[in-house]
Amino acid sequence: MATEATDRIAARQRVEARRRQMEAPTTVRDDSEDEMIVSFPEFIFKEFIASVAMTVFLILVSIFLQAPLLGQANPGVTPNPSKAPWYFLGLQELLSRFPPLMAGVAFPTFVIVLMILVPFLDRNPSRRPSERKVAIILFGLYMAIVVALVIIGTFFRGHEFIWDWGWVLGNPQTCGGRSC
Amino acid sequence: MRVIRAAVDEMWSMVGQMTSAVFRHGLPLTDKIAARTALTNFVLHIHPVRVRRSWIRMSYTLCLGGLSFFLFIVLTVTGLYLMFYYVPSINHAYQDMRDLQFVVTFGGLIRNMHRWAAHAMVITVWLHMARVFLTGAYKKPREFNWGIGTVLLLVTLLLSFTGYLLPWDQLSIWAVTVGTNMAKYAPIAGPYTRYLMLGGHAVGDATLLRFYVMHVVGLPLVGFLLMVVHFWRVRKDGFSGGL
Ligand code: HEM
Repeated sequence: MATEATDRIAARQRVEARRRQMEAPTTVRDDSEDEMIVSFPEFIFKEFIASVAMTVFLILVSIFLQAPLLGQANPGVTPNPSKAPWYFLGLQELLSRFPPLMAGVAFPTFVIVLMILVPFLDRNPSRRPSERKVAIILFGLYMAIVVALVIIGTFFRGHEFIWDWGWVLGNPQTCGGRSC
Repeated sequence: MRVIRAAVDEMWSMVGQMTSAVFRHGLPLTDKIAARTALTNFVLHIHPVRVRRSWIRMSYTLCLGGLSFFLFIVLTVTGLYLMFYYVPSINHAYQDMRDLQFVVTFGGLIRNMHRWAAHAMVITVWLHMARVFLTGAYKKPREFNWGIGTVLLLVTLLLSFTGYLLPWDQLSIWAVTVGTNMAKYAPIAGPYTRYLMLGGHAVGDATLLRFYVMHVVGLPLVGFLLMVVHFWRVRKDGFSGGL
């Protein structure tokens, strides 16, 4: 059994080495000389530590931060402003600025398709940050815009989704009697 | 006395047999034992037996893919607990949430954990995507796995969104009303799509049931299957580790 496994590992390494030669962009650091280690226990241990840290973090947050629960749903009373969950606030923000067909449909579809196509559109074979300045700047812009829209939607949109400096001036707007 | 000693010995060897029935390989004192453990242990089998040290540097992956998966597991476990107490009907849902918060043992804690883990997962999946982009790890031969990842990001957002409705409070129905209103702007299909999502013209009992079914069965199943393929490809494409 053990020999079979060793054979398999050796075969896999040969295939990998060949593929690396054929396909790898020449600019990527060749890692075939890096130290090989058995993944158990070191790798597994790292994952274990990360999981435990995350669990402790979640429990602590959950002890001190109560998840929101407002009054029972009432279709007759529309809170003003009504906001989507934060990760969709970027979309809601776009909707408040552009025609709905563009902001609600064309734009998200375009972004999703673009994202899936990224590996094919990016013709640069290098993976070194210093050789991918354009890609990194474009991606940085994309992330910055998304984050900015979410922050604007969360903190700077008040009654009727109109711009509101409340958070800065010290009287945050409310969503149905609670801060949003 | 001899009889007792023999009985104790027998019990010890029984415990030993139980332990070795579960853990077949003992402590990983040599590389060979460690490799065999990784090869034959179910929990470990998704990992490669051997890795290059440069692949598993935490400074490279920042553990973000792994943490996303771990949060998915936390959400499954805490979600199961919530399901014992929650009935997806507009006559029960809100009261069930209040009971969870104030009456059920650990209900409040588990609900909070489910909620915050969901937010955390949206963030870790985004950051994982950023890591993959910034290290150029989507390049050949990993284009397809990047595509699967994109769909996983969408599934994560939809899971969060469908869960948002379930407490049936003012926050949830109006957030979902706003969210599903966005769908209606699509040409031709828009109004139908919205009707299909809501099971009517406004957020109501049918919507709650639809969102519940998608939230606890449909989307987790799709997400899980995609993750299986995603991890399989990470192994088969070879981990990109190291710039
Ligand atoms: C539920 C969501 C997701 C889970 C649980 C997940 C999990 C993982 C894990 C555990 C890895 C191994 C390396 C690491 O930890 O970084 C990985 C690698 C990868 N993921 Fe994801 N992922 C998710 C979403 C995504 C998204 C949104 C993208 C991109 C759009 C993506 C693209 C990739 C690629 C290309 C790799 C290979 C990276 C490499 O070899 O360096 N994944 N994923």
